[in-house]
Amino acid sequence: MTQQTPHQITRILFQDFPHWMVAVFYGVAIVAIAVFLWGVFIQLRKYAKGKRDKNLWAVARHCIGDTIATVLSHRAIRRRDQAAGGVHAIIFYGFALLFIGTATVTLQYDILGPFGINFWYGTFYLIFKLVLNIAGLGLILGLVYMMVRRGWIKPPKLNYARPDRSRADPDYNRDFYRIEDWAFLWTLILIGITGFVLSGARLVWLQAEPSVWDYRWWSPAGAAVAVALKILGISAADAAKLRLGLWWFHGLLALTFIALIPYTKAKHIFTAIGAWLVRDPEAVRRLPVGDLDQAKIGYTEIGDFGRHYLLQADACTKCGRCHEACPANATGYPLSPRDLILTVREHANQQLTPSFLGLGHAAPISILGDGNVQIRSETLWACRQCGACTEICPVAVEHVPIINLLRRSLVEAGDMDPMLQKTLDAVNKTGNSFNESRRKRPRWAKDIGFEIKDARKEPVDILWFLGDFASFDPRSQKVSRTFARILHEAEIDFGILYEAETTAGNDIRRVGEEGLFQTLAEGNVATLAECDFKRIVTTDPHSYNTLKNEYPAFGGNYRIDHASALLKELIDTGAISLSKKLDYKVTYHDPCHLGRFNKGYDPPRAAIAGTGVDFVELPRSRDNSFCCGGGGGRVWVPDPPGVTKPGENRVREAGTIAGLDMLVVNCPKCMTMLEDAVKTAGFEGKFQVKELIELVAEAMDMDGKMAAPAAAELVQ
Amino acid sequence: MKILVPVKRTASLDDEFEMRDDGRDVDADFCEYDINEFDEFSVEEAIKIKEAAGEGTVEVVVMTVGPEDADEVLRKCLAKGADRGIRVWDDALEGSDQMAIARIIAKVVEREQPELVLTGAQSSDHGFAQTGIALAGILGWPHGAVVSFLEYTPGAPSLAFRRELEGGLEQKASIPMPAVLTIQLGINRPRYASLRGIRQANSKPVDELSHTDLGLTDDQVGEAGSLSRIRRMYVPERGRSEMIQGTPAQQASRILQIIKDVRG
Repeated sequence: MTQQTPHQITRILFQDFPHWMVAVFYGVAIVAIAVFLWGVFIQLRKYAKGKRDKNLWAVARHCIGDTIATVLSHRAIRRRDQAAGGVHAIIFYGFALLFIGTATVTLQYDILGPFGINFWYGTFYLIFKLVLNIAGLGLILGLVYMMVRRGWIKPPKLNYARPDRSRADPDYNRDFYRIEDWAFLWTLILIGITGFVLSGARLVWLQAEPSVWDYRWWSPAGAAVAVALKILGISAADAAKLRLGLWWFHGLLALTFIALIPYTKAKHIFTAIGAWLVRDPEAVRRLPVGDLDQAKIGYTEIGDFGRHYLLQADACTKCGRCHEACPANATGYPLSPRDLILTVREHANQQLTPSFLGLGHAAPISILGDGNVQIRSETLWACRQCGACTEICPVAVEHVPIINLLRRSLVEAGDMDPMLQKTLDAVNKTGNSFNESRRKRPRWAKDIGFEIKDARKEPVDILWFLGDFASFDPRSQKVSRTFARILHEAEIDFGILYEAETTAGNDIRRVGEEGLFQTLAEGNVATLAECDFKRIVTTDPHSYNTLKNEYPAFGGNYRIDHASALLKELIDTGAISLSKKLDYKVTYHDPCHLGRFNKGYDPPRAAIAGTGVDFVELPRSRDNSFCCGGGGGRVWVPDPPGVTKPGENRVREAGTIAGLDMLVVNCPKCMTMLEDAVKTAGFEGKFQVKELIELVAEAMDMDGKMAAPAAAELVQ
Repeated sequence: MKILVPVKRTASLDDEFEMRDDGRDVDADFCEYDINEFDEFSVEEAIKIKEAAGEGTVEVVVMTVGPEDADEVLRKCLAKGADRGIRVWDDALEGSDQMAIARIIAKVVEREQPELVLTGAQSSDHGFAQTGIALAGILGWPHGAVVSFLEYTPGAPSLAFRRELEGGLEQKASIPMPAVLTIQLGINRPRYASLRGIRQANSKPVDELSHTDLGLTDDQVGEAGSLSRIRRMYVPERGRSEMIQGTPAQQASRILQIIKDVRG
């Protein structure tokens, strides 16, 4: 073996190319980059046509650390799909390394080389080759898996059939995206494969040069191809021709890919990272404050959308996690968060991108309607605002506020279910959704056997904010009485607002009646300002969420706990003792507004554990909890006959737990929806729906004061 | 053209309530107030005519007779699309019955010169169902009562409508303009007035008039100008039932005794 100087161990770019060929390549590369930049400009111009409703630079500065960590760790993409997420990470790192590699070559050859600065040779070059070979292999294997996944595994979430359209509709299947998916995979994999064959062909071509051939195993994949070519009898001269042809194929394909990034799904490389940068971690629990004095309160056309929402619409990769998590979609309602976002994207592309060469725009249309790139009102009303979509989205799309802002327009136009309209009228008139007189609100506490303090008149430690269901719904009134007795037993200094409380407005806001919500919020904030208390406690997760996260914008800043947290505290401090060990098998349904919205996963579980029951988790629990169907105002709108209710889907899930005695809930609305679903889904007599408060009360064994369920009742 | 829609702020009762000290009405503390349900339909019908006619052709004026609290009802109508409001009130109007109210509305009609007046068929609290008809009588205009379907193009010399009769019958009729119609529930689907719309309706004009502004004298309004006077409002004693048992003879004698007791 001849000893090589390190400088000889490198790759000569454009080796043996005539000058015109090099010139042509640079010409093509410049055109590709120009096409790429034009595409970037068109997209940025599109986003710029959205509303400047927040300072995105400030948000991005704040989110940059989180974004880098999320991208590098792939934690968002790996959630609920470890395989696809892990393989995506391999593809991502493979692609990133190959990109860095290409950039390094450019740095050497086009930038530093002309100044006589050389570093791409010798040991560095060999390690460089090895790393890029591994990266390329990872990329190809990752892409093969993705092809297998799309072609053979076919997870249902990758089916683009739309629940918001019927088969007869032209855009039912979104076939264009399927073609694009495959074109994307094939382009990338061909770039990778031709890269290795090219590398092998070069080795065979230059087999006589020890500075190349002796170091071939530093590029193991290329060397393997070279061995194969030699076995096939390819001579050095043939290899030279093969190398030249492949060089151009590989190069042109790669340049085409780069040029097309801003126009195709490949743009998610930028848009997904961009969406994470401008993401609002509070998007689900704190909806945007609407300005009631503006000409418009909600979105009706694409120009009303915030710029960040337009960017998010382009970030969507159709991974289907939201599609899978959505309770409306799961139960056959005409809504898929994925399809809604894609409609926003297509609408924006049609309305905000000038047609070829900037000649004219499409005639402006509303985003709301039954047409091709429009969103139907039935789709928007199917949403429960449960946040499952936004919470799982790996590219930070905020479906919940987008749907809410669109609904505000529907409310303004009166495009809603008559029952919902009645409820809004009732809330406006009486301050509660039950259309009951304000005077009736504290009536649940009548004859309870002790006086509940009036927090308006005397200072209290705990101000208990009940919410509508806990005040007026007969089933939840029982729970309220039980909770009052627990507090009384624990000698807690507590009071209520009596008839001065109005509904907190969480669901009014989620319906899209922003004006009514603000009126309610201002009213309650004013009422609470007159009271002397240390903290607020509420049994209603919906009130909890809105008081905690949305009232600060209206001047209401409180220390607030959900009842489950207080129960855990009382158990931990020994203020109440769970003297009776309960012998039930129970499971627990996380209310969206307590769990997913506010991460209140553990206190209710701790309280359940304290009662000594045999606890089994539901298959979908914690952040993946499945909405009872009552969120977003849907508790007021009857589900149409013949449709499975989300609640039925949920109790069936509970029904898969053998020997279950109780489905424990922790929210008056979940109680209403799931108790109803137990009846309609045929589980009556099999297991009961119980409030956590009732379970704790039973374990407290308060001298039989509580209406403890007889064991016989459960056996039935 | 102009459509006048008189509306009323009506009370709904809690199931536990107390009477006012004078015993002539319920204590207002026990009432929730809102626009009369029937009037929601008459307002909607007027706005539908306005919207169908195109920009600037039809003006919808809503009016009410009542104290300042009644403004919220007008504002709701303005939020839905009425153009302006008129509220008639002064202390002398206290105690006006449906006839006196009709007289006040008739004066507003004189002042505003609408071609069409749409009232609710009745109010959901007192339920006299007389105001609209009395108004037509005072004005000497043709009228249709309990209208369940209306077809009218602004500018046409007459309008066609259907009204509900007893026993499931419907009657089709047409009357010349100007006319008074009292509107039945269900004729349309009243739209929602969002809170934001109601707030923004603050910028629409509401004229406040007294009875003298309308050229009415003190004895034409209030109790003096009314044909009826509420003497007492009360919850009637509930009837009692008794299960009569025993032999037929025993039952007969018990019935006889009850008849004698009731006759006194």
